[in-house]
Parts: sequence; structure tokens; C-alpha cells
Amino acid sequence: MKDLKALVSSIAIACALASSASSIAAAAQCTDTIRVIAQPRDGLTLLENYKDEFAKLSGGADFQIDYLNENDRRAKTKADASTIGKYNVYYIDEANVALFAKSGWVAPLTDYYPADYDYADFDPGRQKVATYDGKVWFAPLTGGGDLMVYRKDLLEAAGIKPPTTLDEYIAAVRALHQPDKGIYGTALRGQRGSGANVWRWMPYFKGFGGNWFEGDKPVFDGDAAVKATETYLEIFKYSAPGSQTGGWDEAVGAFTSGQVALLIESTPLVGMALDPKSSQVADKIGYLPPPTPLTGGGYGHGLAIGTKANKTEEAKQCAGLFIAWATSKENEQRRLEEGQFSELNRTSVMTSPKFAELYGPDLGKALADTGKVTAVNFWQNASWPDLGDRWGIILEELITGTRTDIKEGLDELNGFATDLVARSQ
Amino acid sequence: MKNKTTLPWVFLTPAMVVLAVLALVPTVCAIVISFEDRELSRPDGNFVGFDNYLALFSDRRFVNAITVSLSWEVITVGFTMLIAVGLGILLFECVSPRTRNILAVLFIVPVILPRVSAAFVWKFAFHPLYGIATYPYKAITGQPLDLLSNPLTALGTVALVDVWQWGLFFSVIVLKLLETLPPQPFEAARLDHARAWEVYAYVALPMLKAPLISLAFVKMIESLRAFDLIYVMTRGGPGISTETLDMYAFSQGFIESGRISYASGMAVLMMIATSIAFTVIWKRAKI
Repeated sequence: MKDLKALVSSIAIACALASSASSIAAAAQCTDTIRVIAQPRDGLTLLENYKDEFAKLSGGADFQIDYLNENDRRAKTKADASTIGKYNVYYIDEANVALFAKSGWVAPLTDYYPADYDYADFDPGRQKVATYDGKVWFAPLTGGGDLMVYRKDLLEAAGIKPPTTLDEYIAAVRALHQPDKGIYGTALRGQRGSGANVWRWMPYFKGFGGNWFEGDKPVFDGDAAVKATETYLEIFKYSAPGSQTGGWDEAVGAFTSGQVALLIESTPLVGMALDPKSSQVADKIGYLPPPTPLTGGGYGHGLAIGTKANKTEEAKQCAGLFIAWATSKENEQRRLEEGQFSELNRTSVMTSPKFAELYGPDLGKALADTGKVTAVNFWQNASWPDLGDRWGIILEELITGTRTDIKEGLDELNGFATDLVARSQ
Repeated sequence: MKNKTTLPWVFLTPAMVVLAVLALVPTVCAIVISFEDRELSRPDGNFVGFDNYLALFSDRRFVNAITVSLSWEVITVGFTMLIAVGLGILLFECVSPRTRNILAVLFIVPVILPRVSAAFVWKFAFHPLYGIATYPYKAITGQPLDLLSNPLTALGTVALVDVWQWGLFFSVIVLKLLETLPPQPFEAARLDHARAWEVYAYVALPMLKAPLISLAFVKMIESLRAFDLIYVMTRGGPGISTETLDMYAFSQGFIESGRISYASGMAVLMMIATSIAFTVIWKRAKI
């Protein structure tokens, strides 16, 4: 029966691709290798199994994907796009879309994204983070907000209800922190970076009413930032070892290996925590939106068309076709069937019966609820990576104890921000 | 006679041209860019004189990076030479020639490993929860040991990996150098009732002064290029406690700000400082 279903879905996908191929093929004849730089994603690895399909669709083109982890990918794409520009397709994200768009390193996506592939089907939140200055710049590969994931068994054993407020959350983290038993209250991100420790700190900052800028004037150096940092450092006392200089991998790894009681992380965590192949606690977890007043960190990563490597309109169309195919409904359906929860971005897929069948109604509700508190926490500006990374270093110093004065750190960042604004004008 | 004077130029010219293209052009470009205010996100730049250089000396991270780089050089070169000489003598003194050869092969393996691979292997080994190197401490005390997150131990822990790679390799070289020495001075010293350590301290090592100084120089140059090891293991953290000059320059140029002029200023200062330091040390060494 399972084989029959797979056969039917494969035929359906093939038919859908064949029908779209006929209309696309007229638009672009691509024969070169499309070079892509990305960070590792199961969905992209899966694409590599279907190279023949893309070759047929494009008129003979191949693609080659180079993978780098998040921080290295950000550094490498920036260096490549600003210098030689050898990549046709860049993997960019909410934090650097403004920089890439403003610098002219990527082309407006929808000018080259074939209409048949239905860009409007993407989750509206992800479309929002892919948009800068009124134009869409990337097609999402992953994205979402935050969820609080907790160990039902540990909370039940301790008689603690799943926390819904920050005070309850901190109390639960304290109560469940038992290092002598190899269980840690939570796992935060300590590793420097606008997309690392700063990303996890920002929900506290925004939740306490903080704001980055008013016009060109930095306004973050105030009570909200101090309180957010104090709270973050307090919770860090109960964070798993290794997280002080660790990022997403360390935090999620500690949770899925059964050493963490509660974790607030980006939504793909749920897919990994629920997957018995990657999680030792797959049958013991529950999920809720982040406790109030924390905001969820709205984010989106995706593929964009490089301008330097794609000098001609035809080249841009080929890159656009690759992105459209890579993020198509058909390929997303394949990811769903492979259980790649974090790689799902299309409304039609996330509301499909197959999704409900695989993940149940609870996750759908949790995702819908967390959508209500998901916000853009970062400063939407081309200079954001500069500012965020600088705060990331100061925050890492505070976390690891090489600096102790929070206000002094924020004052230093304030001076940096003022200089940054002056330099960018 | 004329042929004798021109022949060296015939051979030297192609090499010098290649060197000029590969080394001189980027060096001159870096110097020129360091006097501008170029950033990756802007195609143009203005001449700003010595502004970047002046700004560097009021930058706490730059000053910190100088301290970290100097500490790194002293720790890695010092311990590598100490391990190399100590282990080399131990092998020469206590181990049979056949076993020596087997150990020599094993000791060369770490340096053959690509730096990035070695860094990842050790980073995982030092993980406080799953690491094999920290497991004994955790088993005995019940507490995890997070060496790479502690500002006091992070630099030393990364240096340990560097010394592991190079100290063992150099010990094989020291062993082979000891094997080439003539036996007579050793026999004479023993006849004079010199103790084992005296034989090495006053006879063998002075005879090996020139190659040992050369090894130290090789290590000093190699230690300046420890970027990959530090980048993988700590990224300059925790905070800025392992941020060396090359790490900070790369960070400013490509990771954080894209301020390539500012980063070039650092690179130029590093070039000048290392050229002067190495020339002075080389002349003082009097090989």
C-alpha cells in the first residue's frame, strides 16, 4: 500500500513537473552548471538526487552546491558577492537580505521567478522577511519563529505545569536543573553572532519593550536592554555545558540527547526533536509558544540570484528557474515525505492532509499560536550584521565572564552604532 | 666571465617575476587600501591618510589581539621546542632503533592531518558533555569540564592541539639529528663521568644549536598562521580571549563589518612588525 502511494505521488510530481517544464523551457535554455553556495539543509541534499529532472527541465543545466555552516556561509557569501562573484545562487537570510539587496549583489527574485511556481504560496511571514525595500529577494528554504519545547516526563515527575510566562519558565528551569543527574535546565546560545547569541537574546530585549533605532538614532541603550541581558545571564546559569560558546547545534544537540529540560529555539527544533533518528527523547516532548512576554524570532533563509555571476538576462533566468524548481511545491512535497519538517515553507504543503497525518493537530496549533507572537526582532537595515555581530562579541564576553559591566558594554555598542550610521551615510 | 655573471639572472628572473606577481601585487594593494576607507558593501573608497592606523591603536580589540598573538607565539613555539627536544632525547636514549622507527611514523601522523580536521577532532574531544578528553575529569568529579569556554584555559587548550601536531613531528627531527651526531664526544663526556643530562645539555644540544634555531624559526612562522585552528576551535572566543591579529583582521574584513581598509591596516602592521622582529631575532641568533 505504501509503495502504491509512493508510486502515485511520484507520478503526480512527474506530471506536475512535466506540465510546468513545457512552459518554462520556452523561457530559458540553460546548459551551464549553476553554482550555489548554501548552508547544509536536508532539502538541498535531497535535490541532488533529482539532478536529471532539473537537467531535463532546464534544457541541460547542472547544478553544484557548496555547503558551509551558518557563520562561514555568511562570511563567504559576503566576500564572494562583493569581489569576484563566482556563485550564481546565494543562500541568504533575514539578517543580510538588506545588505545584499542594497549593495546590488542579488537581483529582484520575482522578475525571474516563473509565475507557474506560485511564489504567493509561501508562508506570508517568510515572504515578509524575504522582502526589502518593497521587492522580494529570496525564495524561502526554511523559516518561522520560536517554539518552547519541553520534556513532558521531567515536568510531570517534578509536578510542574508547562510554563506560559517568563517567570514560570525561569522557575521551571531552576527547579529542573540537576547537573549531578546529567539534566540541565535549558540551553541558550552563547556563541557570538547576530544569528547566534544575539538571536536568542533579542526576544528578551523586544519582549521587555526594547527598540533598536528611531530613525538614524540608536535608542537601544536603555533599561530594556539591561534587563534583557541580566535575565539572559541569569538563565545562562542553568544552561548546558558547551552552550557558553555554542550556537544552535550545541543547544539542540544537548536537548535531543536528553540532557535539557526546556528549550526555546527556532521552530525547526521540533522536527529534529520529534524525529527518532536524531532525537533520544522523540516520544517525551511537548511544545508551546514562547512564554510571555518573549517574542518569537521571525526568520527566513532562502535562495537568491547573484548579479555578478549572472551577467546576462538569460543567466538570471536560469538561476531563477533553478531557485523556482528547488523551492517548488513538488520538491517541498518530497521533503514532507522525507520527514524534513524544517524545510517546509509553502502554505499548501503545511495545510495538506499529509502534514496533519505526519505531525498531528497539536503541532499545527502550536505553530499557529507561535505565529501570533512572532516578530521581526532585529534592525531591518543593511548595517544590521555589523551591529548584531558587534553586540554578539560583547554578549559573549558577558556570558563567559571576561566582562561584567552590562551598561558599559551597551555604551560601547552605542558608540559603535553611532559611528556605523555615520559611516553608512 | 660575462656568462658567469648573467647566468644567475637567467634562472632568477622567472622566479622573481612569479614572486612579484603573487606577493608584491597583493602587498602593494593592501598598503594602498589601508590608506582608504573601503568597505565590502561600497564599490568606491576615499583616501583617508593614516586614519585607519590611528584608529587601530584606540581599538581595544586590536590591542588585545596583539597580546593574544604574542602569547600564542611564546606558548606554541616554547612548548613545541620543549616537547621536541625532550621527546627526541628520550627516544634516542631509551628506545631501540626498530621501535624508534615505528614511533617516528606515528609521531608524524598528527602533522599530516589537515589543520581543520585536527581542529574539529579536538574540538569534539574537548566537548564538556561528550568529549573523550574531558571524560576522565567528568567521571571523577561528576562535573563537566568546559576548557574552550573558559577564558583562562581556552588559549592553552587550542595551543595544546598545535603543540600536539608540531611537537611530535619536531621530536622525530630532533631524534634524526641526534642519530647523525658522531659518537666520540658522547663517549668522551661519559669517560669524564658526565651524567646523562649533562651529556645532552653540554655536548649534544650545543652541537645541534644551528638546526634547533632553524626549527624554532620554522615554528615561529608556522605559528603566525594558526588562523584555521583558532577559527574552528573557538572563533576567537570566549569573548576575545583567543582573538589573534589575523583572526581579528579577517573578522573585520569579512565576518563582521566588511571594513577591508581597516583590516588591511592591521595586515600591513603585522607585516612590518614580523619583518622587523624576525630580522632582529635572526641576527641575534648568530647561527
